[in-house]
Amino acid sequence: MKILVCVKQVADLESRFKPNSKGVWYDETDLAFRMNEYDEYAVEQAVLLKEQLGNAPDLTVLSLGPDRAVEVIKKALAMGCDRGVHIKDNESWQKDPWQIASAIAEFSRDKQFDAIFFGMQSQDRGSAQVGALVAEVLDLPCVTTVVGFAYSDGVISAKRELEGGLKCGVKLKTPAVVTCQLGLNKPRYPTLPNIMKAKKKELLAFPAADFVKNDALSAVAAFSSPEKKGNCLILEGETNTTADRLVAILKEKTGVVR
Amino acid sequence: MEATRELYWNVGHHAVWPMYTLFCFAFFIALYGFYQRTRIYRQGRELTRTDRVPERIRLFLTHLFLQVRVLRVAGPGVFHAFFFWSFGVLFIGTLLVMAQADFTQPVLRSVFLVGSFYKVFSLVLDLAGAMAVVMLGGLFIRRFIFRPEGLETKRDDYLAHALLFAILLTGFFVEGLRMAATEIRTNPGLTPFSPVGLLFGRLFLGLDAEALAAGHKALWWVHFMLAMGLIAALPSTKLRHIFLTSANYFFTDLAPKGAIQTIDIENNESGQFGAAAVGDLSWKDIFDADACTSCKRCQDRCPAYATGKPLSPMKVVKQIGELAFAKAQSGLIDAIGRDTLWSCTTCRACQEICPANIEHVPKIIEMRRNLSLMEGAFPGDEVRIASENIEINGNPFGLAFAGRGDWAAGLPVKIMEQDSAVDVLYFAGCYASFDKRNRAIAQGFVKICHAAGLHVGILGKEEKCCGEPVRKLGNEYLYQTTAAQNVELIRQYDVKKIVTTCPHCFNTLSRDYRDLGLTAEVEHAATFVNSLIKAGRIALKHDPFAFTLHDSCYLGRYRDILAEPREVLHRAGGKLTEMKRSGYESFCCGAGGGRILAEEKTGTRINVERVRMARETGAPVLVSCCPFCLAMFEDGIKTGGYEGAVKALDLTEIVAARIGA
Repeated sequence: MKILVCVKQVADLESRFKPNSKGVWYDETDLAFRMNEYDEYAVEQAVLLKEQLGNAPDLTVLSLGPDRAVEVIKKALAMGCDRGVHIKDNESWQKDPWQIASAIAEFSRDKQFDAIFFGMQSQDRGSAQVGALVAEVLDLPCVTTVVGFAYSDGVISAKRELEGGLKCGVKLKTPAVVTCQLGLNKPRYPTLPNIMKAKKKELLAFPAADFVKNDALSAVAAFSSPEKKGNCLILEGETNTTADRLVAILKEKTGVVR
Repeated sequence: MEATRELYWNVGHHAVWPMYTLFCFAFFIALYGFYQRTRIYRQGRELTRTDRVPERIRLFLTHLFLQVRVLRVAGPGVFHAFFFWSFGVLFIGTLLVMAQADFTQPVLRSVFLVGSFYKVFSLVLDLAGAMAVVMLGGLFIRRFIFRPEGLETKRDDYLAHALLFAILLTGFFVEGLRMAATEIRTNPGLTPFSPVGLLFGRLFLGLDAEALAAGHKALWWVHFMLAMGLIAALPSTKLRHIFLTSANYFFTDLAPKGAIQTIDIENNESGQFGAAAVGDLSWKDIFDADACTSCKRCQDRCPAYATGKPLSPMKVVKQIGELAFAKAQSGLIDAIGRDTLWSCTTCRACQEICPANIEHVPKIIEMRRNLSLMEGAFPGDEVRIASENIEINGNPFGLAFAGRGDWAAGLPVKIMEQDSAVDVLYFAGCYASFDKRNRAIAQGFVKICHAAGLHVGILGKEEKCCGEPVRKLGNEYLYQTTAAQNVELIRQYDVKKIVTTCPHCFNTLSRDYRDLGLTAEVEHAATFVNSLIKAGRIALKHDPFAFTLHDSCYLGRYRDILAEPREVLHRAGGKLTEMKRSGYESFCCGAGGGRILAEEKTGTRINVERVRMARETGAPVLVSCCPFCLAMFEDGIKTGGYEGAVKALDLTEIVAARIGA
């Protein structure tokens, strides 16, 4: 069995974001970077699947991104992936989901992966398209927003999250694409021996041009911080009346109370 | 008549043959017993504790003969020390008898137990015997009548008390019988030099000479056999501590207090980190377990134990011993328990008080290292998140690293990146940099330095967590990677002097970072500010206040900095009321050992307990010299319901408030 897991390095959300000089993306000064949270679930699930099958599967981790993206590949290797693939692209922030998906599909085409794992979306761009697009290009079955995963005899049984707290069960034959959601698993913290082993694992680097063959279908028009319009409502008065008013507000403005 | 007595009176000098045969027998039983135990210790890995011999001998002699560590707890310590000294005198007396009877008299034809010397010898030994009985009685009453909480009494304790009482009392009976038959009748001038023996002797004055002789002979042999029994029983009973605890003074860790081994991560052939089995610990760790007397002084002082956590430092040490003797090849961590290991605040109260010189904290850290580095384990998810935050943003809060220097906006501070020509580098640390309440410490410190005319630099957004909390939680890898970045940065600025307001940063930079190549002088604000005041560099407005002082573990117990904060606060107009637990006996705030990152889920809360102790003094202000302590106390005041009754302040804040605008 061959497994691929795709990860993205994203800016930590606590960072201070400022628009870049072109005003179409964020400036990288003073940002901290990390593995996209949803991709951590994907890596964990891929490693769990490998372990379930007696460590027999060959597990590749791929990241398309600038030089610094190698850090998240190293982390995935320390978590248990066998080989790293870095598609180097210092302009990756300008690529749209279609280009990224096409590049990953291009890389995967002749590799016969039985399962390809993605995070369900990235924390920075949040398009949630790359996984599904890769499945489409490779003509593979795909299940997205997975919160439960089981594998047996060539069949993936997944539980996916729907709106309003509903879940649905999906079965699909491998090869297949899975995109992972929060709650699927608890990513492991790499142990030191595995961190040390990871340093000796194969790490292949390719220029983006090898795989990025398509033009963008979409472009970011503008990037700016949301306007500050903080709103705070203080309810005063008797507890009974304030409670009723609170319930009314919650009904009106949120889905918390029905 | 001459002042002396016939040695081996009534027993006969021919007794030396069975006597020495039996002694050799007992001696070899003891020797073999100890040898067997050394094979248990050898299961541990190597560790050098035989370097710097003169220093070690000095420690051994002073600690053994002056009973320094034993005497640190008044009641039982005094009983033990006097028992030790009096029993020691009796032992020396026995050696003198042996020397004359079996060597100087038969071989050199000379005697020394005569005349005035004999009188002194007789009186001293007689009183030492009485003293030993009284002290043993005191220990007996404490253990068996008062039964202090937590003091476990086992077979060994009954045996030791019974054997020692029996030896002492048979000694007096033998003396009494001899005196009844001899001195009291024939040489009464000597009896004042055996006052206690005389009391016993008077009991037997009604007996005839034959009965006295028979009784004396029988009891003499009983006394002798008991003494041989004591020697033979040494290794297999708690009495072994006579040798092992003493030896442990010789094996003292001579590294700076609190130093922990920096793991060589790159060159680790085995791929094994920390301790998962007894064999992963050092021989000294197993030896410690065997030297433990279960006096429970550590347990009495453990903040985790006192607040209902599963940790007892004594039990951890004992369990290591049990596993070593069971020759267990694995299962160390599960036997002791994960929650037990995570409960430790590394406050060092256990180690500070231990009369047997046992090193508790490093054992716990070794096991935590295994949990962390081999399993990727944490005390809770919140700690994992905090650790990942340190990895990504260099602080446990997960706040943007770029905002680390924001607290200094508008203050007379140089950012090293822009201008590194400074008198001191202030290493602010995570809490004083990011925690809203704690920023007052950093700002106060800058104000003090400015008043003293010093140029202060900070690393600002380049500074990272010193790594102390994660290191104490066992995550040596994260510590080393984070620390290495700080060290390289500081070295690059060619800094001569660093000051911290956090004792955790202070210990880490001044001691732990030495292994990573930092050489700059590092000082804590408490001593630094004290020197500034003493040198007249800053003048404080006199503004009296009443306070109690919390000695932070990593300043007091770890670095012996106890007087300086008191001096500073005194000069600031403070009137100090000490808490019962202060100085070396201070009670941790609960934040040490990386616990600052963890939620306290079992038992009551350590910080609330400490605030309660502060409240007991009646002082309205609780002063500490540590951002962790301040954060814990602010929280303890709120959750414990002490708002309005106790106010938590840092020393730096108090001083800064007394400096003119």
